[in-house]
Amino acid sequence: MALTAAQSDAKAKNFRLWVTAGPGLFWIVLFLLVPSLVLLGIGFFTSNDYGSPVLPLTLTPFSQVAGNSLLGWDDGNIIILLRSLEQAGIATAVSALLSYPLVFFIMTRPEALRPLLLLLIILPSWTNQVVRTYAWLELLGPNAPLSAIAHMLGIVPPDLGIAPGSFAVTTGLAYNYLPYMIVPLYASAERLDWTLVEAGRDLYASGARLFWHTVFPQTIPGLLSGVIFVAIPAFGDYVVPQLLGGDKALMIGSLIANQFTETPDWPYGAALTIIMLVFTGLGLVGFRILTRKLGGAGEATI
Amino acid sequence: MSNVVPRSVKNVLAGISWPVYVLLYTPLAMVAFYSFAPAPNSTGYSTFAYGQLFHDDVVFAALQRSLILALVSAAVSTMLGTLLGYGLCRFRAANARGIAANLPSLIIYTPIIMPSLVFGISELIFFNFVHSTIGILSAGLVTMVIAHITFQVPYVALTVFARLAGLDPNLFEASHDLYADGIKSFFYLTVPVVQPAIIGGFLLGITLSIDDFTISFFTAGPGSVTLPIYIYSAVARKGISPEINALGTLMITTVMVLAVAHFFITRTRDRRASLLPN
Repeated sequence: MALTAAQSDAKAKNFRLWVTAGPGLFWIVLFLLVPSLVLLGIGFFTSNDYGSPVLPLTLTPFSQVAGNSLLGWDDGNIIILLRSLEQAGIATAVSALLSYPLVFFIMTRPEALRPLLLLLIILPSWTNQVVRTYAWLELLGPNAPLSAIAHMLGIVPPDLGIAPGSFAVTTGLAYNYLPYMIVPLYASAERLDWTLVEAGRDLYASGARLFWHTVFPQTIPGLLSGVIFVAIPAFGDYVVPQLLGGDKALMIGSLIANQFTETPDWPYGAALTIIMLVFTGLGLVGFRILTRKLGGAGEATI
Repeated sequence: MSNVVPRSVKNVLAGISWPVYVLLYTPLAMVAFYSFAPAPNSTGYSTFAYGQLFHDDVVFAALQRSLILALVSAAVSTMLGTLLGYGLCRFRAANARGIAANLPSLIIYTPIIMPSLVFGISELIFFNFVHSTIGILSAGLVTMVIAHITFQVPYVALTVFARLAGLDPNLFEASHDLYADGIKSFFYLTVPVVQPAIIGGFLLGITLSIDDFTISFFTAGPGSVTLPIYIYSAVARKGISPEINALGTLMITTVMVLAVAHFFITRTRDRRASLLPN
């Protein structure tokens, strides 16, 4: 049976699609999707003496994640998980609170200056993550200027710094991911309909009420994107807690990495990864629902 | 417009924002400040650490590897990403629905959304497995290049896609009417039009490669230490030294000079060009 013109056209299009898009997609599937599925699968294997995965399939790694071991139950893992959620939450809140004044500061500057002011916020994040993270040790490490002030105020004992510690980790996370909040929020602010603000003012709203009812609702899509862009990488960050955290500020990222480097236990590490991804996924789904509820505008997507 | 904002509010915004700007650059400035630490047994500021650095073969080898890694991975991901963005924009059926239609998008967003730690460890396990079964791809510069290409491709594709999506589809019809076939219209229409996006994608790839630590760390072998890995292990092992600060200062300065130069070049060329990709 002969193909109609439309069918053969569609067929040619399909062929071209796979010739052009195929190699790139295949690359990502082979070098990321397959490996990450392998990693997730390993979470259901038994660990041998070298920490490598062997049969039979088991749920022991997940029991380990919950805190069970040969020595009985331990709340260490739960604490690390909660701490990671807390650190990600605080870092996200701090960057959101800083982003609003920054974004509207830029918006109230002359139009020609705005791209430069935005660039100046993003610029530090283009330096390598290790450099911009260890740079905080110069301010927060033992005997560093801010640690000396904290010592004078009696917050930290002498010869110890703010880093390593929880506060240093929060600072490092907020510093690293601030631009990820600024950029979507700025995009929202750029599209802001100022006539709504004028209308609100004509109705005698002012100050905080004016902001809350006319400006804030319009920035919600940007804010929600920013929350996702900051919270997800902050939750699973590895460099910041490693360099600024120390033992008492251990986060889930370091815990996972340890199972693949220092004291190998791949199945346990894979199970930890699954749990981390479950929390990440729950967060994503939650925010997706929130975005729909709050009427977030659809962004241009591929 | 923004003249609705009263003067007092503007002052408050400026009062909060300028200190934040200062705070953003303070840690980086401290790195530069301490890089001019006095030479041993002397006082005052010196460039001693820089002298040490320039004679350090290990650092030089790491720098070479970082540059090779960035250039090779960005070149390959620009090719793959450009074709990918082009194909999805031009040849995906507009009325496609369901899983099959959304599959490419799902695949493209995976590297972007996946936490880099999970990304890195997945690659570690995968390369380890491949090496132990087939004997190729032992951890080293090659595996790092592969991993770097993987996380750059989506960004290049999105950049090119965004540029093409803003294009009048009639242009392609016109080239077709003028008897250009697919390949001809790709090289004579698409490539010139999306050239800024291709260059932008390449530069973005380099930036992403230089910025990355976590994925490099888990795909590197003992003989493929790059600059970020070198700095990380030095700081983790013996803390900060003037030499590390000198290296950090050079890296910070390079990125800043390139970024600012890129900013002003693109601005003079096209005043309406957007600062950010997509």
